[in-house]
Amino acid sequence: MPHLEISDLITVTDPANGARLPVRRAEVVRRLREAGDPRAARIVAALPADRDGVLDPHAVDRLMIGVHTELQRLSEELRIGERLVHVLRPLFAALRATAGQGGPAEPLRLVDIGSGLGYLVRWLAATRALGPGVELVGVDLDAALVGEADRLARAERLDCRFVHGNAFDLPEAATVYVSTGVLHHFRGPALAEFFRAQAASPALAFCHFDIAATRLAPLGARVFHRARMRHPLGRHDGVASALRAHTDETLLSAAAAPGIRPLLYEPRGLANPFCTTLRPVLGVRPHLEAPLRQAMGRASRRLVGPEQLAGTPR
Amino acid sequence: MNPAVPALALGALGLVDAAFSGFRAYAGRDARIRKHRAVTRAALRGLAVGAAALLAPALTAGCVLLAADDRARAYAVLADGAIGYLAPLALYAAAVLLSLAAYFVLPFRASTLAVVVGLGPLTLLRPVVVGIACLGAFAGGGPASLLVGAVAGLAVLYVEPFVHRRWYAEALTADRSLRPPRQR
Repeated sequence: MPHLEISDLITVTDPANGARLPVRRAEVVRRLREAGDPRAARIVAALPADRDGVLDPHAVDRLMIGVHTELQRLSEELRIGERLVHVLRPLFAALRATAGQGGPAEPLRLVDIGSGLGYLVRWLAATRALGPGVELVGVDLDAALVGEADRLARAERLDCRFVHGNAFDLPEAATVYVSTGVLHHFRGPALAEFFRAQAASPALAFCHFDIAATRLAPLGARVFHRARMRHPLGRHDGVASALRAHTDETLLSAAAAPGIRPLLYEPRGLANPFCTTLRPVLGVRPHLEAPLRQAMGRASRRLVGPEQLAGTPR
Repeated sequence: MNPAVPALALGALGLVDAAFSGFRAYAGRDARIRKHRAVTRAALRGLAVGAAALLAPALTAGCVLLAADDRARAYAVLADGAIGYLAPLALYAAAVLLSLAAYFVLPFRASTLAVVVGLGPLTLLRPVVVGIACLGAFAGGGPASLLVGAVAGLAVLYVEPFVHRRWYAEALTADRSLRPPRQR
């Protein structure tokens, strides 16, 4: 049985133009029941719909903003910002080190794919953790989340921006693509396609964090989401995300796109599962690997490619 | 030991717990990055509600004493019950404090450990710990202590949902009237 996330089913946008598409409640309930998830079906059945059975888009937007606000609380508590900067800061140092040798000219542009409420982008803007000369952009297909992220950024006068649309259709090229908790939404060939699109772009690197697929992850997600999230949708999707997390091998294999050196930081066997809830798969242009490892120092021991992953203890 | 000590210790624990309950009632409802003042306000709201709620066990204990034939003996029994009630709560509080210290002092990997095996599960265990404390009160001081302990337990467990419903029922930042910026 596939594990489905409710949030993927109740918010559907046209990938071509980002327009919101109507979602029939009964159809979502049917899919969840067929997937063997009656609890999720009950959660959706309780959502408001109009006389034609189409989910109320405003109620769904309010719900998604509420759930993502709770999700941000999890990111804050797990210090996800610091975890990202631990990898991104050396990556940006490597980019700056190669700037005179055919590398990028400033501003360096970080694009957060599927930015949701934009916590990562706003946190980076507030802390200036990546130093000067970095433009911070969040992109999401969900218009309500992008609007809220933009409002939050303006309320705190943060130097970042948010765009509603497809991250690969931006008028300005990204230097680095990042994401948190997005990869497990791509299933089958779509995962490799996601990485190929970045490899084919002018971007020099990507760094995508997602739930570490350990045996502990589903139980940990169940306990932690129960303790920290109030809405049943958030609790359900948090556990479903952990169950859908891609293995290290799957990520490295999918990230092996032409012109990209795929790397995984803190794979299983080199990380304590109690301390590593999320870990990133990176892709860098080959000339960046050496300066990246140099900038990481001793921590680069935890950065492995496909050939090293085969040798790490399980 | 002075019989008032366990009662004072329980009162202090209850107020600290109430402040944390206020924070938890607010957490996950505000997506801003800088929110120290809002966090402080939420903790103070929890503290205020907790202080009011803790009057309930104090009044219950007062009623028990007023109704007793031998007040000195009843006071001693309640003091023994308070010690039985305090023991599991003190252990729990020590575990929480240790987890919090680890969370704030250690680097992010170790702080994740403090959350995953400490703070997260400990939040879920609160009602269980209150139940165990009630058993301790009964073992130490009989039915009268159990009554006071149960009222105290209900009072501390009531703070978070009350504060949440009163002040934080909706996400503070939701605004449906906004439209996202156009792609340039």
